[in-house]
Amino acid sequence: MNNPVPDSSLKGMNRAVELAKFLASEPVRKVKLGQTPHAVIHRDRQARLRWFAPAEPKHAPLFISMPLINTWTVFDLMPGRSVVAALLDAGVPVYLLDWGSAGPEDADLTLGRVIDGTLVRALKRAKRHARATYGAEAIDALGYCVGGSFLSVCLSRHPGLARRMALLAAPIDFHASGRLATWADPETFPLDAIVDNLGNFPGALMKQSFAWLKPGGQTGKWWGLWERFEKPGFPELWTHLEAWSDAPTEFPGECYREYVRQCYFNNALVDGGWVLDGRPVDLKQGSIPALAIAASGDHICPSAAAFGLERAWGGPVETVTLRGGHVGVCIGQSLPKALIAWAEDA
Amino acid sequence: MPEHMSNPFGDFDKLSGDMYRHWEKAMTDWWDQILDDPGFLGAVGKNLEVGVRTRGTYQKSVDETLERMHLPTRSDLTRLARISSLLEDRLLSMEDTLLELGDKMESLERETIKARIESTETRLELRERLAGLEARLEALESKPAAKPTARRTARKSAARKPAAKKDDA
Repeated sequence: MNNPVPDSSLKGMNRAVELAKFLASEPVRKVKLGQTPHAVIHRDRQARLRWFAPAEPKHAPLFISMPLINTWTVFDLMPGRSVVAALLDAGVPVYLLDWGSAGPEDADLTLGRVIDGTLVRALKRAKRHARATYGAEAIDALGYCVGGSFLSVCLSRHPGLARRMALLAAPIDFHASGRLATWADPETFPLDAIVDNLGNFPGALMKQSFAWLKPGGQTGKWWGLWERFEKPGFPELWTHLEAWSDAPTEFPGECYREYVRQCYFNNALVDGGWVLDGRPVDLKQGSIPALAIAASGDHICPSAAAFGLERAWGGPVETVTLRGGHVGVCIGQSLPKALIAWAEDA
Repeated sequence: MPEHMSNPFGDFDKLSGDMYRHWEKAMTDWWDQILDDPGFLGAVGKNLEVGVRTRGTYQKSVDETLERMHLPTRSDLTRLARISSLLEDRLLSMEDTLLELGDKMESLERETIKARIESTETRLELRERLAGLEARLEALESKPAAKPTARRTARKSAARKPAAKKDDA
């Protein structure tokens, strides 16, 4: 006798049961991110400089400036999906600046203090440590997202801190940032009201805003889990990504105010006219070789925004486009490959 | 029997996937119009502004109530944390200064050692030259009164000649 229920429907039902069991076990809460062994070698308020040592150093050390929006663990999500671990395997010592999450006491932290203080100090400490440990006279620097935008400002104002600079999905031409640029309109975005009343820009609000940038993203996330649930390794990756995106960080209020006003409202990295702590911000003063990396499906920092570096930066600029989205690019295989090739190219 | 005849539902996965993608596209298109509309953005902005102002006012009134009850407020705790942060900043600046001083000391030490090595080398060189000169001098002194060389004899005879002329005069 024929089975009245088609096989594909049975398969679907089985999958639904397995998926329900999986979600009921609260996998996201059990996940541990950032598991690659490392040491914290410097602290500055909430920021931590994390040192990852390779078994056999072969290349110049790499300093990484992470964004202030999420935790650093997107670069060390899970075994096999870790930019940091891939760099260590290739013999690149890594110094990663994790900005942490701002507390209420950090609301008055200015962008000048963040760039000329925390970032410069972390770069100097990384350089000092690299010289003492590896005998390295120079280090390379990589900035991701807003961490990259800040790094470019820093290296244009403080030459000699890094030998080369790479920016990953880091907006420079902010007016080319797509929907985010449309939303960051001084007429409609209540920037001052947010900072004056809340102190810091809340991580939860940031997470919500990013979710609304791509309205299909939330349903797509669940559909992706349903469709690929049986694919080996996918539920683990989904869980780790979910755990990472569930932990947004607070952005220091005063720093956020100046960042949005100068970068999003005035597009000052391209158009100029920004004076930070009494000194003009001028990326044309930057002279070291730079690499701008964009992700092909990035809706937060489209390639036009990232490649604005070509027009703004004083030194030679190369551009590369990798497959993936703003976050997806960090968990794919193409980013470690590109960074290792860049390290070998020195 | 062909698949579509034995299975009245067809491929459930493919069907549901196609349905989802159609729905997602339609929904995304609709939201795209809404989310880029200045009128909608203005309304969201106003809403957000009212929300954060209300939150600010609420926070202020909670602080005032706690203050009246002589209890520490959120602002008090923030102020204390800020003081400790400022102290941490000062410590970091001192640490920076110490590290810079350490660097300068190290570089001075390096330069001093280099200068001392150079001066020692110079002294050694001078001592060696002096020893060489002394050795040559000793060698000269220890030589027995040598028979005059042809050149010396010639010089002597040349010296004698004018005297002879004088005598002749």
